[in-house]
Amino acid sequence: MLLHDLKLALRNLRRTPALTALTAGAIACGIAATMVTVTLYHARAGHPIWWKEGQLFAVTLDTRGPEQGGPQGPHPEYPPFLVTYRDAKALYRSDIPTRAVMMYRSARVVEPTRAGLKPFNALVRVTTADFFSMFDVPFLYGSGWTRAADEGPDPVIVIGRFLNNKLFGGANSVGKLVSLNGHEFRVVGVIDNWMPQPRFYDLSTGAFDVPEYLYMPFGWTTALKLDVAGNVNCVTPQAKVGSFNDLLTQDCVWLQYWVEMPTLAQREKFQAFVDNYVRDQKQYGRFVRPLNNRIVNVNTWLAMNDVIGDESRLQVGLAALFLAVCILNTLGLMLAKFLSGAPIIGLRRALGASRRDIMRQHLTEVVVVGVLGGLGGIVLSWLGLWAIRVLTYVPALDDDPAHLAIAQALSHMDATMLFVAVLVSLLTGIVAGLYPAWRIGRMQPALFLKSQ
Amino acid sequence: MQIRTLLKALWRNRTGPVLIAVQIAITLAVLVNIAYVVSVRIQAYRRPTGIDVHNIFWVQSQGFATDFDQSSALRTDLAYLNGIAGVIAAAATATIPQGGFGGIGMPFATTPEGVRAPKMGGAVQLMTNRGLEALGVKLIAGRAPHSDAVSPAPDMMGAIAQWAPEVAMTALLAHKLFPKGDALGKTLYTGLINKPAKIVGIVERMQTAPITGPFADYAERVVFVPGLPPGPSTFYLVRTQPGRRDEVMAQVERSFADKVPGRYIGHMETLDQSASNMRIGLRSSSIILGAVAILVLAVTAIGIFGLAAFNVATRTRQIGTRRAVGARKRHILHYFLIENWLITTAGVVVGCILALALGAKLSVMFQLQRLPLYYLAFGVVALWLLGLGATLVPARKASSVAPAIATRTV
Repeated sequence: MLLHDLKLALRNLRRTPALTALTAGAIACGIAATMVTVTLYHARAGHPIWWKEGQLFAVTLDTRGPEQGGPQGPHPEYPPFLVTYRDAKALYRSDIPTRAVMMYRSARVVEPTRAGLKPFNALVRVTTADFFSMFDVPFLYGSGWTRAADEGPDPVIVIGRFLNNKLFGGANSVGKLVSLNGHEFRVVGVIDNWMPQPRFYDLSTGAFDVPEYLYMPFGWTTALKLDVAGNVNCVTPQAKVGSFNDLLTQDCVWLQYWVEMPTLAQREKFQAFVDNYVRDQKQYGRFVRPLNNRIVNVNTWLAMNDVIGDESRLQVGLAALFLAVCILNTLGLMLAKFLSGAPIIGLRRALGASRRDIMRQHLTEVVVVGVLGGLGGIVLSWLGLWAIRVLTYVPALDDDPAHLAIAQALSHMDATMLFVAVLVSLLTGIVAGLYPAWRIGRMQPALFLKSQ
Repeated sequence: MQIRTLLKALWRNRTGPVLIAVQIAITLAVLVNIAYVVSVRIQAYRRPTGIDVHNIFWVQSQGFATDFDQSSALRTDLAYLNGIAGVIAAAATATIPQGGFGGIGMPFATTPEGVRAPKMGGAVQLMTNRGLEALGVKLIAGRAPHSDAVSPAPDMMGAIAQWAPEVAMTALLAHKLFPKGDALGKTLYTGLINKPAKIVGIVERMQTAPITGPFADYAERVVFVPGLPPGPSTFYLVRTQPGRRDEVMAQVERSFADKVPGRYIGHMETLDQSASNMRIGLRSSSIILGAVAILVLAVTAIGIFGLAAFNVATRTRQIGTRRAVGARKRHILHYFLIENWLITTAGVVVGCILALALGAKLSVMFQLQRLPLYYLAFGVVALWLLGLGATLVPARKASSVAPAIATRTV
């Protein structure tokens, strides 16, 4: 039965090749536009550490002074997304969270000992010990360091796989020494391929940045007077900056602060702890605004930072409207085509075909067009995504393959998206076919037989 | 003339026309809003930078030796770069103005008390003495500021805190701070470091970064501070005579690194390239939106064409009958064109409402001004023409139906 319908549909479609091509082409365009924009959206909307949702929290404190000069973001109610050094140190004393991380980005010059390699600049994540266990960082060799190493500070580092390849040819480098700005550091761990996208734990330098290849214990901040290679925002008018020491004492925010709290009791206790800390600080003239300390999970954090962006939303919205136009278009063309074949339908009805037969047969025809369009749409979306990759490719500042990998990750269609594409094309066919098939099925056969 | 019969005929077979009208309505809404958003983007893309972008390149000196001396490196490098044949001026800078790395923002005020609650933020362009020449910006009043500092600060904070006693600023910032137009010679007070400086020069315009978003006009409120950027990583901007950039760049690439021991060239790039990289998002999103607009027009044209062709095909006998009883060819042609025009117009009317609604939403999303009405007018005319164009071929075919058809049985 189905096979017969399919045969009939194909024969009918072949009879009007131009119309079939136009209809399928329109559907293909609509599906391609939708798929391209939804793929981009999908990549941005991904949850990079979903298995720990509800356990990881970003901590923000409203350090801002009474009035803030300069432009306000779209959400002036949000506290600054980064915290000050003294507040981070104070929060770090709490043992309520299971794990806690304060960190920022700095830069160092690596002086390789390998022949033929020139010194080069590398971004460094300066962080407390829990970073690796908190964010489930996979290790190729070795491991992270202990909290004691933060205090030391011990001359230890963790390096990424890319750097390990560059410096040590990919061999197990645990125990080897790396010279950073003239100081020797011992490698304790090598991170395997790891690229959470968006890079949720530090969105301040761009949501789709690459993880750093060097990790250094937090204690080196003061020991080496490490500069910040990221945002520094002085949030009160009283803040006065002039030296590295001011960075540590003034109300300037530049650190990310994250905690891991699996239980509700911990969360409630920690929120109370933070609020009490802020209330206590008010007596020194700090935190002049009403209590506004937000401890938020990864999902909320990504939303607050507007990682998806209005641009992606606009593109998806317009593409959806476009798909609607394509569906209407198919609907109209199919209706016209079916109605022009009405006399033959009348004949078939008179010879005993039931209404359901006619409807099913016509619906099959539209679904076939929808699937043809869907296949074309998948090809077109591949082309479109390829074009976007070419358009947005920035020759990276170094030879790091990860930059390219991110561009690819952002504009690549995975199995889910392929499945969605097929589903959308089937749905398009059905939505566009239902009405014309129903109209043609309802027709009175006598009317057409008479006019013959 | 035959409008009433025409409407009656339309009403009897209303499904097709209604579908097309809805299609046209959505198309108008999408088209008009895309055109507006893209035109705003193109304006942002083309916005003058005030900088001699085409004749500038930058080179990053990366010191690594523990005894690297920034002070002598700056002296040596500036003397070398400024001495190359074809170079107009070279200067060391803390940030690259079109580099896309953002900049240094500071709060400014016109009175010493004002810095307690400063309302005006701006970008700081910290450069060595010949900075304005190296940028190629146009000084419209006063002179370039000068600094006598000789020892660079250990870090960026220190470098900014050194703050020279005289500065220049863009006309935009000067106008915002001193609306009477008397900025020259006045004192500028800067928050965070709480230092005053005399305004000795006004620059016509300059654009740093970012160039879009809520901070975009911030990027054009620039204060030029002469001073020494901290090491060990330093950017040098080199401006050459027109046409000699690449030649100078090649020479610098060959011999720059060895002029100072204990450093290497971190990166080198033309400012053209940096500025283009910074605008990649604007470019690609405009292309995506433009492609959607063209496709939606094409699909709608196909729809209109299809409906008209269907109408002509199913009415062949009726057309023949009309011709047989005296209708001229042009009457038939007009009939179909008018029929289509009525459908398009119905769609366009609904489309205008849709377009305004969508435009209101977008203006909130992207902080744009309200959709200008002439965009709507252009959109309406474009769709009328599209409708006419798509109907023309089927209508011509209809007008060439022979009267004799009426007498034949199909």
